[in-house]
Amino acid sequence: MSDAADFLYPFIEGDERDVGTLLVDLSRSAEAKVTASAELRRTTLDNSTDVIERAATAMTDRFVMGGRLFVFGNGGSSTDAASLASLFVRPPWGQPLPARNLVDDSAVLTALGNDVGFELVFSRQLIAHAGALDIAVGLSTSGNSRNLLQCFAEAAGRGLLTIGLAGYNGGEMATSPHVQHCLVVDADSVHRIQETQAALGFALWRAVQSGLANQETAS
Amino acid sequence: MAADFGESVAVAALSLSRRFADGATLWCVAPEWSEHARHVAVEFVHPVVMGKRALPAVSVDSADAVGALRPLVRPGDVVLAISTATCATTAALLPRARAWGATTIWMGVGDAPLIVDRDSGADHVVWAGDGPETDSPALHDGRLVLMYHVLWELTHVCFEHPGLLTADQACDEETCITCSDEGRLGEVIDNDERGMAHVRTARGVELVDTTIIADVSPGDLLLIHAGTAIAEVR
Repeated sequence: MSDAADFLYPFIEGDERDVGTLLVDLSRSAEAKVTASAELRRTTLDNSTDVIERAATAMTDRFVMGGRLFVFGNGGSSTDAASLASLFVRPPWGQPLPARNLVDDSAVLTALGNDVGFELVFSRQLIAHAGALDIAVGLSTSGNSRNLLQCFAEAAGRGLLTIGLAGYNGGEMATSPHVQHCLVVDADSVHRIQETQAALGFALWRAVQSGLANQETAS
Repeated sequence: MAADFGESVAVAALSLSRRFADGATLWCVAPEWSEHARHVAVEFVHPVVMGKRALPAVSVDSADAVGALRPLVRPGDVVLAISTATCATTAALLPRARAWGATTIWMGVGDAPLIVDRDSGADHVVWAGDGPETDSPALHDGRLVLMYHVLWELTHVCFEHPGLLTADQACDEETCITCSDEGRLGEVIDNDERGMAHVRTARGVELVDTTIIADVSPGDLLLIHAGTAIAEVR
């Protein structure tokens, strides 16, 4: 098919054949995303220094007293939560610390989802496991996931330290009285938010490890 | 990121989109950090961007990834391994996946593999070295997640170019196993004392002469030419 306006939409008929041009475009696009991601991670870390410091100090105090970390999230954020938990448990350096991802057990997750509803899949696990010395860290890109907000409410009620990682404008997590420390990635791409949340999680972990090392030196 | 990140992920994404267009399933394995395989699979199955098509991707988390994938992978599928350069599971999986007729992508962090030759089994290598940022490893600071996000994003860009998804898939890449006169890869299923073996290749199960190979066992990788195993690949 050919049309006088084809030059405006050269690929509309699916007869594009120049793979070289596409590869150059893809490559440039990839490099641009790398740059944008690095920039967002850098500015977010810079802007979050105080919150990271406060949250990490509170975490360190609890770890020293025997507290444990529970992390949770949905979808890709559940896998980012798993990465954060394993960073604490099997650290590249420093002390291994007790941390668990509440999504790890599919039997528990489907039992709760089926019997009491998906909104309660995390909070119900805290009821079973958590004590007042423990720490709850939830990751969401929107900041509005119902099951996270429910979990933070349960955690706060039980005396846990609560830390939220959110994107966009922070959603409900940013203003929830149940989230004591909220780290917000001010962006509107789910992917760039998740990459930056990984960097924030790493910064938190690093600050906790320095806190522990300083306490050891002092004692 | 490695200096050739843009180029390597672009070529991998084009290859992946072509396989998807042809009906492939993407199998994701991350032996050292299984959550990253799950993250890749959920990206493709349930896209975060409205209107992007759902694509078949599966994460496999097993102590025996080769055994778990062997019955699942079909010729034309894609196997993605996310690992360090020294991961033994990846080293065993990728050449076998290629023998089964899959396209293979190796995505990793840390020190890059010293040599990526045919024996590595990797059609595409996409890497993020730690570089000078040794106190901020790519595994932990968001760069690994970024790598597969970009692979997903570029794959969907390719779908906006349907004319480029139908290229001659067997012969559009640098290393063309089908056309090479060196031989094709096959994985031994079983063998007998008469010097014959059933071997799984991209074409299915073939009976080949193994008399010139010393010891043949199930799971071995062989180079096959004209119905004869001409070398073992280690």
